[in-house]
Amino acid sequence: MKGIVFTELLEMAEEAVGEEMVDEVLDALDLESGGAYSAVGNYPCSELVAIVSELSARTGIAGDDLQRQFGNWMHRRFTELYPQFFADKDNALKMLDAIESEVHVEVRKLYPDAELPRFETRWEGDDRLQMTYRSERPLVPFCHGLVQSCVDHFGETASINVAEATAHKAVFDVRLEK
Amino acid sequence: MNASGGSPSDGRVSRRRYEREKTARREAEALLEAKSRELWEVNEQLTRQTANLEDAVRWRTEELQTAKALAETASAAKSGFLAMISHEIRTPLNGVLGMATVLAESDLPPDQQQMANVILQSGRVLLDLLNDVLDLSKIEAGKMEMERRPFDLAEWCRGVEALFAARAAEKHLIFAVTLETAPSGRVVSDPTRLQQVLANLVSNALKFTEEGGVHARVAAFGDRLYLTVDDSGPGVPEDKRDALFEAFVQTDTSITRKFGGTGLGLAISRQICRILGGDLTFAPRVPHGARFEAWVPLEIDRADRDTRAPSADPEQAARVLTDHPWRILVAEDSMTNQKVLRLLLRPYGLELEMVPNGAEAVERHCAAPFDLILMDVNMPQMDGLEAAGLIRASEQAHDLPRVPIIALTANAMTHQVADYLRQGIDAHVAKPVKRDVLVARMAHLLPSRPAAATGP
Repeated sequence: MKGIVFTELLEMAEEAVGEEMVDEVLDALDLESGGAYSAVGNYPCSELVAIVSELSARTGIAGDDLQRQFGNWMHRRFTELYPQFFADKDNALKMLDAIESEVHVEVRKLYPDAELPRFETRWEGDDRLQMTYRSERPLVPFCHGLVQSCVDHFGETASINVAEATAHKAVFDVRLEK
Repeated sequence: MNASGGSPSDGRVSRRRYEREKTARREAEALLEAKSRELWEVNEQLTRQTANLEDAVRWRTEELQTAKALAETASAAKSGFLAMISHEIRTPLNGVLGMATVLAESDLPPDQQQMANVILQSGRVLLDLLNDVLDLSKIEAGKMEMERRPFDLAEWCRGVEALFAARAAEKHLIFAVTLETAPSGRVVSDPTRLQQVLANLVSNALKFTEEGGVHARVAAFGDRLYLTVDDSGPGVPEDKRDALFEAFVQTDTSITRKFGGTGLGLAISRQICRILGGDLTFAPRVPHGARFEAWVPLEIDRADRDTRAPSADPEQAARVLTDHPWRILVAEDSMTNQKVLRLLLRPYGLELEMVPNGAEAVERHCAAPFDLILMDVNMPQMDGLEAAGLIRASEQAHDLPRVPIIALTANAMTHQVADYLRQGIDAHVAKPVKRDVLVARMAHLLPSRPAAATGP
């Protein structure tokens, strides 16, 4: 898993629960990386899952909620770090539709070995998009947070239905509301 | 814990220091991403360039292959055209040479006799030229075929010597073909093509040598058969030696005018040697003169058998023909060629019957068998091979004796001749028909004694 996910997770956690708590979490876990992450490195996904569950245990926030919050955070960071992807889109659905065809294409240029989730999209009219998420990692709530933030980013409101959700797959039915 | 420099004594880093490190890490990460991106771009460019280059190479290769195919087609067409034209020229030349032969032998006043001789000589030169051009076109088209059969080297040497003895004597030159080291058996190669090589070398040497002599030496040495021709002529100027073996190049165009020849002889001879697995080279002699040395791989036939007819003595052959009024059937569609054959064979008192195609030949022969058949190969309605086949079938069916059939062919390839021999033909004579050759073949195939019952 890309290091940026780890660095951002720790940033978020520091902001939410403070550096002390984050240090305790990292010290409590037996991490192969020792908790030292670089955005451009690659780390086992199990470390992310371990950090999230340890944070959840110490804060009392449910793991899924943490993931969703983290999704929100990541989205905000994406808009800051990679504004070029958002510049030419006029609504959230177009952005979501472009993840596979634009964003992941660029990611692979930088990181040919990246193991990326897959996003299949199907338009159901102009204001409705069905997006099927598939991943090796159990990160459906994280993805949900990203989708929600994307809608928010464009100043829109939408109903987001999650169907067929398993650990590694979910169908997001995103319908814009005017 | 030991503190060093200005760091806090408890080993903790300051917040400012921590922020600096963090900023540095992020900068490094951003830098790495930018570099990765650049690397990817350059890599893409290289990939595209490689693809373009490969495309260009593929395109060029295709273009070259097309050009090569076109050139080869054109060259093959040219060779085919040459072969066809030389074949077409051969047919009328047969008429000219045949008639000139007969005319020169007839009772003519001396001045006319001389004219007839000039026609005959010119016709023969023309035929030589034609054969050279045809040989070269065959070599260039990769269609020059070589025969492989055992022959007696000593006899072969005598044959070449006999060819040139008269010409050498005319120029008062010493001339000999010497077999220096004879092999332990008969040699297997293409005697006709080898003779062409040696004859060409000797003919050239005699052409250019005015004093002294020409010496041809034949030697079996190791696994090679060497043919060496030395002369005491003027030699070859140094700057002309490179072009010696190139087709259509004589060292001096004035040579063609003075000495004749096509300038193809050495090119053809070298190619023949090379096709046979050897080579032909030139070496200057001191103080003057030239040496041409040809070699081909030496192969000895250990089998003790003689499959070829001994070369017949012309006079003896003529005697066989005049011995008896043999009934000879001639199947030949060209009226000119019929006339030529009739005139060439006139001195021997034969009973000649002429038919214009294979079907009539079969009909006539089956009605009343002949002593020998001369069969043109290319005839309308039924060609010579089919006719020969039918005659052989009929002989088998009726238990009749086998009539000798000689095929008359213009421009037959070696493999075709081998085919003819399998298809009921006993021998073949090339057109234009030379009387000596025709008479020798006929004499060889006719029964030594006339059959008990002849004539209808």
